[in-house]
Amino acid sequence: MLKQCLLRPQTVAFVMNQTPIRSSCHLARLGSTRRSLWRTFSSTNNNDDVNNDNKPRLSVAVVGAGPAGFYASKYLTSSVLKRITQSTSSGDDDDDTHSTPFGFSGIDIDLIERLPTPYGLVRYGVAPDHPEVKNVENDFAALFNKQGESQNSSINFYGNVDVGKQIPLSKLQSLYDVVILAYGCQAADKRLNIPGEDTLEGVLSAREFVAWYNGHPEFQHIGPIVERCLWKKKSNTTNDDDITETSISPARVVVIGQGNVALDVARVLAKGKPGLIDTDTPTSVLNVLKGGVSHVSVVGRRGHVQGAFTIKELRELTKLDKEGHNVSFVVRKEELEMGMTDASMEELKGPGGRPKSRIDKLLQDNAVEEDAQSTDAEKSVEIRFLLNPTQLAPHESNLSKVGHVLCERTRLEGDPGKQRPVGTGEMEELPADLVLVSIGYRGMPLEGMEELDFFDSSSSTVVNEHGKLPGENNLFVTGWIKRGPTGIIGTNIMDAKDTVKSVMNYLETSVPVAGVESQGRDGLNDHLGAHDVKVVDWNQFLRIVSAEIDTTRLRSEAQPREKILAVSEMLNAAQR
Amino acid sequence: MLPRGVISAARAAQIGCKRSGFKLSSVFANTCVSSQTLGNNKQIRWHGDGPGPDAPTVQLTFVNPDDSETKISARVGETLLQSAHRTGVEMEGACEGVCACSTCHVILEQDMYDDLLDKMEDEALSEDEEDMLDMAFGLEQTSRLGCQITVTEGMDGAVISLPKATRNFYVDGHKPTPH
Repeated sequence: MLKQCLLRPQTVAFVMNQTPIRSSCHLARLGSTRRSLWRTFSSTNNNDDVNNDNKPRLSVAVVGAGPAGFYASKYLTSSVLKRITQSTSSGDDDDDTHSTPFGFSGIDIDLIERLPTPYGLVRYGVAPDHPEVKNVENDFAALFNKQGESQNSSINFYGNVDVGKQIPLSKLQSLYDVVILAYGCQAADKRLNIPGEDTLEGVLSAREFVAWYNGHPEFQHIGPIVERCLWKKKSNTTNDDDITETSISPARVVVIGQGNVALDVARVLAKGKPGLIDTDTPTSVLNVLKGGVSHVSVVGRRGHVQGAFTIKELRELTKLDKEGHNVSFVVRKEELEMGMTDASMEELKGPGGRPKSRIDKLLQDNAVEEDAQSTDAEKSVEIRFLLNPTQLAPHESNLSKVGHVLCERTRLEGDPGKQRPVGTGEMEELPADLVLVSIGYRGMPLEGMEELDFFDSSSSTVVNEHGKLPGENNLFVTGWIKRGPTGIIGTNIMDAKDTVKSVMNYLETSVPVAGVESQGRDGLNDHLGAHDVKVVDWNQFLRIVSAEIDTTRLRSEAQPREKILAVSEMLNAAQR
Repeated sequence: MLPRGVISAARAAQIGCKRSGFKLSSVFANTCVSSQTLGNNKQIRWHGDGPGPDAPTVQLTFVNPDDSETKISARVGETLLQSAHRTGVEMEGACEGVCACSTCHVILEQDMYDDLLDKMEDEALSEDEEDMLDMAFGLEQTSRLGCQITVTEGMDGAVISLPKATRNFYVDGHKPTPH
């Protein structure tokens, strides 16, 4: 049944019966002779101009209100509006595209989000001490604030709506002309597949940890685990009363993986409350982090030339001490040397080598000999290369908790760009009270998608070509669930443009079929109403924002907001 | 201390004068004077969001990713990002012009690039800008961030290219492969 809906044949006859204007649009695409037919047809309505009043508006559902969903909404709106303007401007025969009719008179986008709040990883992923990166929220909000500037477009927010659970994807496809999946990779992680990964307490994914310190309502259970790992009594002589809110945790944390997420979590752990007090880190999180953690190691299998981090995040670590965070940055000279294979040298020189060369220089400038004197800083972040974690081992005094990360020294083998870490047999044991696995997020199919051929479980992405799902359907995809969990916020711009191009192409070359139901927004409202879904609309979201910036909630004037940590409380705030 | 990337009127004058055949207009001279009158090197702001409509303008041509051209009147004293947003040139500014993203990446003509560089401290881009350019798509030798360039009279007639749309948008050279 579901499959039938998803792979719905595009029945031109049906559409002609429903909306004759659309079918004429279809004719227009067939060629210039047909186009003149279109003109004859349209001129009966309103002189030579295309009568937009009789044309339907394009209905679009976007699943996921993170950067991918917002950029797709933004560019699809502007592309459609531009296209409408072109089609209605009086015939400029010099430019063929300007006189081609377009089947729609406007665009209505419904941005559907599982959480009551939009912005996805900008709100729950970007580190709280990167407020300038979160400025992009204003750009996204502008889509809603500018409502009414053009009567030809509208956008509605449907927060707290879980596509797959509260409304089947097939239903969305049936209601809307176009459905764009932009739900990201927030549901799962790549795995190390080493002993201890699933069995020991104190092994978390960086994804969970990041979501916790950003106040994600579904990850607040992580706090008590982190607290136990960082502040467990070392012995009976340590008294809980000795731990003040600025105490530095003696714990050792090992972060496995070397992307920007790994560097983010290392920095947040090292900074602790003093370094994050003026950010929107929830107070409950600061109370767990306290004065920060004394030792954080960020471990990667390959060398520094192959790291996935970018220089901005790396440079921040090197500057922590200078900026008064009481954190030294440690990188070992010999590990940089070990990673400098001939192939690595080629990678630095090759195309795209500029960022890597600058990272190489930054690390070389900060590198120390193994026995070199470190700074007076009480905390340190160490970045380690060419170490492959092979086992997470239990703590001596508590076998259910993690205590060590066993690593094998690696060396790089292979051609430039394809170097792999190969074990040398030399082992190193890193003490660890908390292990954060930061080797990548993993996309998951939406409920109801597994049985279809749309999800590639090997790459954990939705199968697509430039954002268009294969076959005859009205499904598109953008963002991480399209390309995999890599890149920065800006990457979604190119990605969204790519998908929007495919959507526009689809609207020009296929007869857009708004499914058997095709009521768009009205149909969604009916469905959600019938299923008693507590939708949070944009104005209600703004009430949540108001509640979060209420001065009675804030620690200080500098704190941007104190996030609400429970969905139920968000819904209460939304109703106020 | 100037905000990063904001070029003082005095500097701007040097840049402008250095360009061959460029004449310092009287309006621009006034800008210099008023800057000095303020007693500091701060960029003159009208409504908090760049210079007002009375500001002198220069003609700039933006080459869009699809090779079409958009000619605009840019106000002297605003950033290229502000010019683009004010005139509808499709340039993102995700971080709102504070050099924390690379979405306002532009590619300059060699002359303009060199002139701007000559006038910068140490004749080099700021570390922050270089770091952000490392994440930009379609990086060229003359790449800059639009938010870090202040429009001067010397830029009249300049051609500024937006990076070409590419379907290879993996910033780290990553190629998706099955795991």
